[in-house]
Amino acid sequence: MATAVVLDGISKSFRIPHEHRNTVKEHFLHPLKKVDYEENVVLQNVSFTVDEGEFFGVLGPNGTGKSTLLKIIAGIYQPDAGTVRIKGLLSPFLELGVGFNGELTARDNIRINGTLLGLTKRQLDARFDAIVEFSELERFVDQKLKNFSSGMQVRLAYSIAIQVDFDILLLDEVLAVGDQAFQEKCVATFDRLRAEGKTILLVSHDMNAITTSCDRAALVYGGSIAAIGNPQDVVETYLDLTHAGAPVAAT
Amino acid sequence: MAALETIARPRRERIAHHARVVRVTAAAEFKLKYSGSALGYVWSVVKPLGLFAMLYVVFGRFMRLGNFPHYPVYLLVGIVFWTYFGDASTLSMYSLVNRGGLISKLAFPRLIVPLSVSTTTAITLLINLGVVGLFLAANRIVPRVEWLLLIPLLLYLVVVTLGVGMILAPLFVRLRDVSQVWELVLQLMFYASPIIYPVSFLPSWWKPIAFLSPFVQIIQDARWAILPTSTPIDTPTSIYGGPWGELVPLAVAVLIVGGGYLFFRREAPYVAERL
Repeated sequence: MATAVVLDGISKSFRIPHEHRNTVKEHFLHPLKKVDYEENVVLQNVSFTVDEGEFFGVLGPNGTGKSTLLKIIAGIYQPDAGTVRIKGLLSPFLELGVGFNGELTARDNIRINGTLLGLTKRQLDARFDAIVEFSELERFVDQKLKNFSSGMQVRLAYSIAIQVDFDILLLDEVLAVGDQAFQEKCVATFDRLRAEGKTILLVSHDMNAITTSCDRAALVYGGSIAAIGNPQDVVETYLDLTHAGAPVAAT
Repeated sequence: MAALETIARPRRERIAHHARVVRVTAAAEFKLKYSGSALGYVWSVVKPLGLFAMLYVVFGRFMRLGNFPHYPVYLLVGIVFWTYFGDASTLSMYSLVNRGGLISKLAFPRLIVPLSVSTTTAITLLINLGVVGLFLAANRIVPRVEWLLLIPLLLYLVVVTLGVGMILAPLFVRLRDVSQVWELVLQLMFYASPIIYPVSFLPSWWKPIAFLSPFVQIIQDARWAILPTSTPIDTPTSIYGGPWGELVPLAVAVLIVGGGYLFFRREAPYVAERL
């Protein structure tokens, strides 16, 4: 089977100054004192591949580099070492509703968000009704987004996102949104995406979501891959590790 | 060095996509700038006009700087051009930090951010130029072929200002003091540049320094193109001498834009993690 995403030896660390010096004065006051940096290694030599059409889950406790990993795949962060190879059209967003602005109407926000995600004007015109219909927000299209409840905003964002063309979808903790009816709708679209052969990379610490919907999963723990394979096994490894009381420090 | 290999959209499609993003975000920014205000974009005209009225009364009347024909037009052109330079450079400086939410969640060329800010401000510049047009009509100044020179001059202004923005925006991400410094620099530049007064007022030792600023040449050329009976003007050639004199401000401009682009390109991949 063809591979969609290949990660080869990805490492990333952030240099965190002990005391943030953000003003010139601080530099001038202690010109000789070197800033102490703490090298915070977030990812260390991470390699794995995701196959085309696979629903791949990434699991792990907070602060172990899940989101950093996803940002590197998306091209938002630059890895210090290693390569990322992507085959196919990558959805450029990690979160729903990027670029949403409360001061603008839902109509304007659909245009902006849709354009950011790669839709052309023609595609937007053609899919506008479908977006609004799926979100069930027909009556509110010309209202400012700030008057929407957070659930309504997410519904709108989700409805736009599924109209975007992509082969590989990256998602960072998004499944827990909307009411029961909308959740069911989301599950239905996931099934559709799977049937269309799309590749989905889902980052979550919701173990239930990982075991029920993923074909394969990886556990990111302490900056490297602690387990990979069958979601059920990966979740068990995760539980063992956390219950063993191992420190979850990312250093 | 790490590499990101993708088999993505063809190049032409990508560029078209980026152009759309600039257009849509610039339009949204323009809308947002005055959302919730009753007069809306009328403010973008009122502010430079207010500054003009004050400066005209103080410097034109009280201090009698304007003892030559069409001083009001002369002054207004200077203010309108300056307002663009000041607003666009300042907004570009803040742009990456202000769009932090977008930058940390979406992969797209970071250059789009200052570009869309420049575009929004350029729309305001065009509206203000409409007001200049009304002034010209009121002063019964007939259109001339030289007015066409304004098109390359305006493009020159926009590109140089973008160059400044490409330097300021990543610097501001690294060091927040940059905004204080730039505010001061803008104030000094306003009085050091021939905006309120003509270039001929400058002492001869200052002229070669003043003309290092591409902005001084742009404003000088724009006034020369707009007004029919200009007083004899100083040009880079008359100041630096020789056929190469004209190239001095241009060289500075190339340095700003080229250097700005290279600097921005170097910083862009790391903006998301430094925000």
